[in-house]
Amino acid sequence: MQQKHVLVIGGGISGMTTAIEIAEVGHEALLVESKPYIGGKVVQFSQYFPKLCPPQCGLEINFNRIRNNSRVKILTSARVNSMEGSKGNFKVQIMKKAELINSKCTACGKCADVCPVERDNTFNYGLDKNKAAYLPHEMSFPFSYTIDESACLRNECKKCLDVCEYDAINLDAREELIEKTFHSIVYSTGWEPYDAGEIALLNYGNHPDIITNVEFERYAAANGPTAGHIIKPSDQSAPKTIVFIQCAGSRDEKHLSYCSSVCCSASLKHALIASEKLKQVKILIFYIDLRVSGRNEDFLKQVEEDENVELIKGKAGKININNNKLFVEAEDILSGIKTKTESDLVVLATGIQPSLLNSKLPKDDYGFLLNDKLPEGIFASACASKPLDVSASLKDATAISLKAIQN
Amino acid sequence: MEKKLGIYICSGCEIGKSIDMAALEKVGSVSGEHLCRTHAKLCLAESVQNIQEDIKKEHLEGVIVAACSPRFFTKEFSFNQLTERVNLRELVAWSHEAKDADTNMLAEDSLRMGLAKMKSILSPTPFIPDQSSSEILVIGGGISGITASIEAAKAGYKTILVEKNKLGGWSNHLHKQLPMHPPFDYLEKPLISQKIHDVKTQEKVEIHENSSIKEISGQPGEFRVVIKQEEKETKRKVASVVLATGWNPYDAEKLTEFGYGQNPNIITNLDFEKMAKAGPVLKPSDGEVPKQVLFIQCAGSRDKNHLPYCSNYCCGTSLKQALYIRESSKETSVFIVYKDIRTAGKLEAFYEKVQHDDQVFMTKGEIGQLNLQGDRILVDVHQTLLGDNIQLEVDLIVLAIGMTPQNTEDLNLKYRLGKGLPELKYEFADSHFICFPYESRRTGIYAAGSVRSPMDISSSMEDACGAMLKAIQCAEATKRGEAVHPRSGDLSHPEIYFSRCTDCKRCTEECPFGTYDENEKGTPIPNPSRCRRCGICMGACPERVISFEDFNVNAISEMIKAVEIPDEFEEKPRILAFVCENDAYPAFDMAGQKRLKYSPHVRIIPVRCLGSVNNIWISDALSKGFDGILQIGCKPGDDYQCHFINGSDLTEKRGENIQEVLEKMMLENERIKTVFVEINEYDKIPRIIDDYVEEIELIGPNPFKDM
Amino acid sequence: MQLITMMPETRNEKRETRSKILLPDIQFIKRVKKESNSDLKACMQCGNCTVVCNLSPEENPFPRKEMIWAAWGQKGMLIADPDIWLCHQCGDCTSNCPRGVKPGNVLASLRSQTIEYYANPSFLVKWLKKWWMLPVTVTIPMIIIHLILIIAGTLTITPDPVNYSAMFPHALLNSSFSILALLMIVGIVFSIRSFWKGMVKGYRLSGFEPESQSSVKERSPIKSGMTEKATSIIKTIWQVKKELLAHKKFKDCETNKFRHLAHAMVFYGFVALIVVTLFAILSAILGNYPMPFLNPVKIVGNLAGLSIVVGLLILIFQRLIKKDAVSSSNFFDWSFLISILLLVITGFFTEYARLVNDHLGYYWYLFHLIIMWYVILYLPYTKFGHMVYRFVAMVFVIQTGRK
Repeated sequence: MQQKHVLVIGGGISGMTTAIEIAEVGHEALLVESKPYIGGKVVQFSQYFPKLCPPQCGLEINFNRIRNNSRVKILTSARVNSMEGSKGNFKVQIMKKAELINSKCTACGKCADVCPVERDNTFNYGLDKNKAAYLPHEMSFPFSYTIDESACLRNECKKCLDVCEYDAINLDAREELIEKTFHSIVYSTGWEPYDAGEIALLNYGNHPDIITNVEFERYAAANGPTAGHIIKPSDQSAPKTIVFIQCAGSRDEKHLSYCSSVCCSASLKHALIASEKLKQVKILIFYIDLRVSGRNEDFLKQVEEDENVELIKGKAGKININNNKLFVEAEDILSGIKTKTESDLVVLATGIQPSLLNSKLPKDDYGFLLNDKLPEGIFASACASKPLDVSASLKDATAISLKAIQN
Repeated sequence: MEKKLGIYICSGCEIGKSIDMAALEKVGSVSGEHLCRTHAKLCLAESVQNIQEDIKKEHLEGVIVAACSPRFFTKEFSFNQLTERVNLRELVAWSHEAKDADTNMLAEDSLRMGLAKMKSILSPTPFIPDQSSSEILVIGGGISGITASIEAAKAGYKTILVEKNKLGGWSNHLHKQLPMHPPFDYLEKPLISQKIHDVKTQEKVEIHENSSIKEISGQPGEFRVVIKQEEKETKRKVASVVLATGWNPYDAEKLTEFGYGQNPNIITNLDFEKMAKAGPVLKPSDGEVPKQVLFIQCAGSRDKNHLPYCSNYCCGTSLKQALYIRESSKETSVFIVYKDIRTAGKLEAFYEKVQHDDQVFMTKGEIGQLNLQGDRILVDVHQTLLGDNIQLEVDLIVLAIGMTPQNTEDLNLKYRLGKGLPELKYEFADSHFICFPYESRRTGIYAAGSVRSPMDISSSMEDACGAMLKAIQCAEATKRGEAVHPRSGDLSHPEIYFSRCTDCKRCTEECPFGTYDENEKGTPIPNPSRCRRCGICMGACPERVISFEDFNVNAISEMIKAVEIPDEFEEKPRILAFVCENDAYPAFDMAGQKRLKYSPHVRIIPVRCLGSVNNIWISDALSKGFDGILQIGCKPGDDYQCHFINGSDLTEKRGENIQEVLEKMMLENERIKTVFVEINEYDKIPRIIDDYVEEIELIGPNPFKDM
Repeated sequence: MQLITMMPETRNEKRETRSKILLPDIQFIKRVKKESNSDLKACMQCGNCTVVCNLSPEENPFPRKEMIWAAWGQKGMLIADPDIWLCHQCGDCTSNCPRGVKPGNVLASLRSQTIEYYANPSFLVKWLKKWWMLPVTVTIPMIIIHLILIIAGTLTITPDPVNYSAMFPHALLNSSFSILALLMIVGIVFSIRSFWKGMVKGYRLSGFEPESQSSVKERSPIKSGMTEKATSIIKTIWQVKKELLAHKKFKDCETNKFRHLAHAMVFYGFVALIVVTLFAILSAILGNYPMPFLNPVKIVGNLAGLSIVVGLLILIFQRLIKKDAVSSSNFFDWSFLISILLLVITGFFTEYARLVNDHLGYYWYLFHLIIMWYVILYLPYTKFGHMVYRFVAMVFVIQTGRK
């Protein structure tokens, strides 16, 4: 077997999977991630559907596979600068951002203890604050603190420099250009949640108790801003009614005209989590079509049987804010009634939008990369090429691994 | 002879401030043979360099790194000699009171346990099959199997493609295919004929049509396959297998409520597809063009009396077939009654395209009574979006029937545990893991396409690539003697000391991966490259004859014995905790990172899986004077999180035997407790430990302490 | 009012009448699609249109159900559906539709088809909907007016200074217009009678509530007993009249705020002109006509005309810039706007010509009268009819217990 070297761009669960699978065949893989840690969106999830199991479990297996395999290398806080060449011989320049904390870090945490600056915790979508020197999350991989360049006071402060015993901090660090040659390149650049603020009638941003599904994940997560308590952000109390609005942006030609394919199952999951955690709660899910695939049908059954949850056919197209209260309006189509539901918390099931919207690579009308139009030797996997849930993404990521090592 | 060890103790990250380093160093220096050094920053490159030089200069045969958790600096602390990590940071310094006698005792015991383990383990020597093959067997010559073969060939691997009829499978019947290219709203020419041509002209594919698998024996790297074509038998050796035998339509005969079989004009979507391919769509009763056609979605799917799941392909297929009729007969109207239209992702564009046709009428609804009056069929539809129950008069009904997986016993595995793959829910040969869709319980055999999960063509083609990658990976890993997922790269493998084996068959029955075959007497025959190195067989063996070089009954027993047990008057109970290293151990690490404090009376032994815990360890520990034993592992049950399928389940099952041990020793049941935690439940660790310590303190000390 | 007794009193009755085979009218679908310039078939039944519509009632709201009826070619259901008349075509649903299928346009087209369906004689509507029939439809009032004047022999009497009553004597004018109005009213009565019948029949056939949904309230039966009914009808009419006069519904529209103002300007202008015209007739009979320019009645009349022109220009302007987004712009719609605009403008010209003593004024006057006849004669058959249909539909809706 002739060893090949594959570049995987994007260190989410899909990119990680592609890199590991390739390395376990016996080839080499370099995983480039722009964030200081790998794991992407799933590390911000509380649980996976339909098993309601923590994503960290599978991540740890993957981290172990990386720890024990010298053929897979990861480069965090890095971006691909340029690439040229063709299949078998891609010359790629990678820009590694200035690493204010380097790999000597043991994650002892002293820098964060003394750091005087607070910043919006991006890991929790800014729902709480953390220090400018911080560990992104408990299972950050690589397990290392990092410094938010934009928030750090640099040489005006230097407190962290004094306490670090490992010489791991260099506030004057420079970015570094790395050049390497690869056999093939895989884009695993993933997705971003669609900006719910674009949907005017849903009033996202105009009331704290209107949140998105990705924010809900953080509230539901034990390591989230509320330590796993589902609350009304406005007054931190437990909501008595929660409304989930499906297709908040998806299946709408003015926003995302495709179906994001994960939001139905995600909201079902959220409903179960909320029902389990809050016990005394009324949960309504307004949908156009319930799109859960294959054997996840059982998961849907489970939700249908939950006494706290009601599924209603009809798109909730409008949230009225009246007297600081939220009223969700929808047509309950099967009952033939126009409903107005007062709700303590409204969760918008926002869709999946490809991250690489601005790239010059061949894309479809929605902005997803098109595998059959990409140059030979360059591939797009998982949510870079279509909206998929985790399991389907990993299937795709594994499939693309085979393409990437073909001669 | 005892190995010469290098013991390196790190005092950084608060370890030095928390633990009495001098006392610890004394423990490390008990045997003058060994080298024991303390270092303030062991993880720095210079320190690691020093260790490497020591290994060379001092001819060290093993290294103990007593520092942070083995989950960190793994690559830095991996030497070409046997290495053991003792976790002083997360499990001791960060989770217990600093400068406390109990904390010191914990640290010392931890190091003692590390030393004891080192005595009984060896660097593993990999098992590599003598004549391993690089070829891959693909069973099933439908779109998945053909794609798998073609894509493997492109990666340089030879495949043997076995198809029971002729190549193509169900795809041969396709008239047109759902859109796969932008703008995703037009039907495409079926890919299958091109694919068949490609695979037939591909040198690296050996095709066996009209053939079946008579038998597969052996193990990854050297599966021996007997392919049968009528009377002719062909033998081949392959490294791994892709199972792509596909699906069968759900038996429409069972769909009496939709009138199937009672009227010739009620047909299945498959009948319809074949008809469309052959020519114009006509009514079977009289060969006339139908005027009003009804598609009934979920006919026998999403239905507790038939298939409870969604088959994923039927919505797209019916939309496609609606266009067939509309294209062939302008005056025909089409009705589609659905539960939900499921055109996920980009297929939404195709749904919209079909909607645009003036004569395609769709509504959500429940099919009520069918009134079959000769040529006209009256159908009641309830709960429609038209606000009412409606009645349709149609002259052709197409039932969108679901998929059932082909029986995996087609594999004809000559395995102790059965001919097929252990099936999951609804008999699909799927993985149970969201993160690992190709995880297989028969190592080296990977399911692809609709035998794994209901899926359409484009999804099947993707799936074929994924499964083939895993098969190639398995072939390559086996050649290197490495385990495949999840302990990828592990070189150890089980060895049986046969002279003491009593042929009790526990190992052959309990191995979730079917590693062991049996001879006529019932003696296990190991197939090491089927093994996933979880150690469940080791835990199962009552005679303790199964061992791994670097993880064995003896080594753990030595660890247990190495713990110093204070006598009962000191009121310092000792709890032994077997902690699954997959999820529970990281949870302990995270508790440490969060500086959560818990009782220092617990001694932790990480295990590969709770299933690998042998009951002898428990009786050893109780005899030694441990007051209680905790087993902490992953969630069992239907939604199990155990990485080795049923390790946690087995622990519960084996609990009965343990109760016998307790009874024999006249000890309380509570002295053994099993707890399941999820990896992110680190916040629960202190409560689990402290509650149990309290419980044990109430029961009182183990009477065996002084013996 | 004997029709009301045909209303069902029990659900059983309803169910019996309901099991009717559903047949799509494909020509109807094609027509609605064309008239509304909408891909209405692509509606995915999300109900967003219903949600964003501030006029849609709580029970059996619109226009989601109308959209699927239209997509399924259920002409029978739609022409009997009073709900399409509750829509004031503000365009909220259209601008928020995720599939871009313009429910507002579809409803507009359904209304025009309803007018066509019930109009008596219905060929008139068909004519009036086609731009190439314009010569015919315009010629009819032209011939009638000329015939009257030729018979009266006053067509050529055009004295100086300009005196229109010389050409068209007041008595003749008033009497012929009275006959014309009567004709129009007869047309309306016939159309409305079948419209009401249709709605009653539709109500009887429908029973939208799925039986299993017990949460749905039983339709409130129509009250029985003649006197009660009569009073309730009168009450309802009074209520609807108030609502229409107040133009309340328009205020709820969000997408098209200007529409409220524009429509109100046209509507009130028109009402004022009717009142002014009655005054004029009265003063003509009393003999002090024409009134001086500064007579309060005259001032009101001129202001009302101005208001109509401005309102119409806003409506026209909006249709031109937001062609597809909000409203349909077919001939049925345009001919309505333009005929009224021409009516008022020719009126102004006629008045101006008299004041400056321009003999062209006689032509303007004739032109004005022809358009006037066009508008009044065809009122039941043009979009003008919407006033009446809407009024009746709203009465029906309230009568059947809808909120």
